[in-house]
Amino acid sequence: MKELNCLGMRCPLPIIAVGREIKNITPGESIHLLSDDPATEIDLKAWARMTGNQIEVKGPNEFLVSKSKVD
Amino acid sequence: MDQGWADPRKLAHSAAKARILQEEALASLAQNLGLRSDEMEILGEPALGHFYSIAGLMRPEDTLVHSNVDRKEVFAIARVHQNSSVLGVEPSGQIKVDELQKLAKTQGVLALQVANGETGILQDVEGLVANSGTLRIAADFSSAGTRVPLPSRWDSVFFDARSWQGPQGIGIVAIRNGAAWRNPLPYLGATRTPQSASLPLLMSAAIALEEWQENEGSEVARLRALSQMLRDEICASVENCDVAGDLGQSLPHITSFSFLYVQGEELLRRLELAGFEVDSGSACTAEDLQPSHVLAAMGVLTHGNIRITLHQGCTSAEVKSLTEAIRIAVEDLRAS
Repeated sequence: MKELNCLGMRCPLPIIAVGREIKNITPGESIHLLSDDPATEIDLKAWARMTGNQIEVKGPNEFLVSKSKVD
Repeated sequence: MDQGWADPRKLAHSAAKARILQEEALASLAQNLGLRSDEMEILGEPALGHFYSIAGLMRPEDTLVHSNVDRKEVFAIARVHQNSSVLGVEPSGQIKVDELQKLAKTQGVLALQVANGETGILQDVEGLVANSGTLRIAADFSSAGTRVPLPSRWDSVFFDARSWQGPQGIGIVAIRNGAAWRNPLPYLGATRTPQSASLPLLMSAAIALEEWQENEGSEVARLRALSQMLRDEICASVENCDVAGDLGQSLPHITSFSFLYVQGEELLRRLELAGFEVDSGSACTAEDLQPSHVLAAMGVLTHGNIRITLHQGCTSAEVKSLTEAIRIAVEDLRAS
C-alpha cells in the first residue's frame, strides 16, 4: 500500500497530494494517508463524493483512501 | 449631509438640526424595515447587534439554541452561557427541524439566522418559528436584509445596513415592545445602547435603504437569473466544482463555490488581478487556519472556496467575464 505522509502540510496540499497519487494506483488499491491539517477529514469526504472514490478514517490524522474507478 | 455633523444630544441650534435629521432617518428606516421607531436601537458597531439581540433576551438559566452554521459571534455568546444546544443542518444547509422540535419545550432563546452570509442559504423562517415552541426568537437579518419578511413571531431582530448596500458601521437592533429583554452590558441611564452611531452614516443607511427598495422588486428576479447563469456556466466549464446549497433556497445574489485542488487565497489574488473582488471562506485564508465551520457542517469542500456577491446593477456581460476569469484562474492554479 502506498504511504503518503502529509503531516505538517496545510490545506489544500494534502488533498492535492492525494489527487496526484491516486492517478498512480489502480482501482481497488489504496493509499495510507497521514495528515494533521484540520480540514483534511472534511475535504477528503467531499473529495470522495466529488471524484467517486472512497475514504475511511482510521484514527487521528490517519486515513485510508481507496480508488474506486478508472481515471 | 452638511446639516448633520453636530451631536444631536446637545442644545445648540446645529444640534437641533441634526436631531431632526436623525429622527427623519430613524422614521424612514423604521417604515422600510417594518418596525416601530421606539423598538429600534442604532449601533455604531454592528457586530454587537448579535449580543444585544440574543444576550439581552437570555436569563441565566436559559438555553441558547442556535445552528452549527451560525455566525461565530453567536458561538461566542453561547460559550459564556451555561446552557446551549446546537442544531445540525442538512447537506442543503437547512436547519434540521426534528432537532428543533425536541427543544420546543425548552426555556430559552432561538438564535435564528435568516440567511447565511457565507453561502447565501435561506432558512424556512416560518417553519422554524412554528416548531420553536416556547423558545423566544432572536432573528438575525444581517445578511437577509429586507429580502425576507419579518417572522410572524419575534422578540428581537438584527439588521446590518450593508445588506442593502448601505454603509459599513450601522447595525439596527429592534426589541419588540413587551419582550423580556434586559441590557446585557453595564449601563447608565435609560438608553439601551451607547447611542454612538455616526449620524451621517445613519442618514446614508436610510437613504440607501430607500433606494434599495425602489429597485429591489425588479433586481431580485434579475440577480437570481444572473446567479443561475453563473452557477450553470461555472459548473459546465470547470470540473470538480462544489456549490453550496440550491439557488431556490438561497439569497438571489450570493453563491459559494469550492474548487478542488485550488488554494482559495491564490484564486482570490488571480481574480483581483482580473478586476473582480470576491470573498473566501477557505481554511487557507482564515485567520485561525480552521476550515469554514459553515462549509464543514454542510459537507461542502472547504478549500478553494470563493463567495461571489452580485450587487444591484451587475450585468450579464460582467457575469460572463467573471465566469471566464474563474475558469482561466482555476485551470492555471491546478496546472501549477
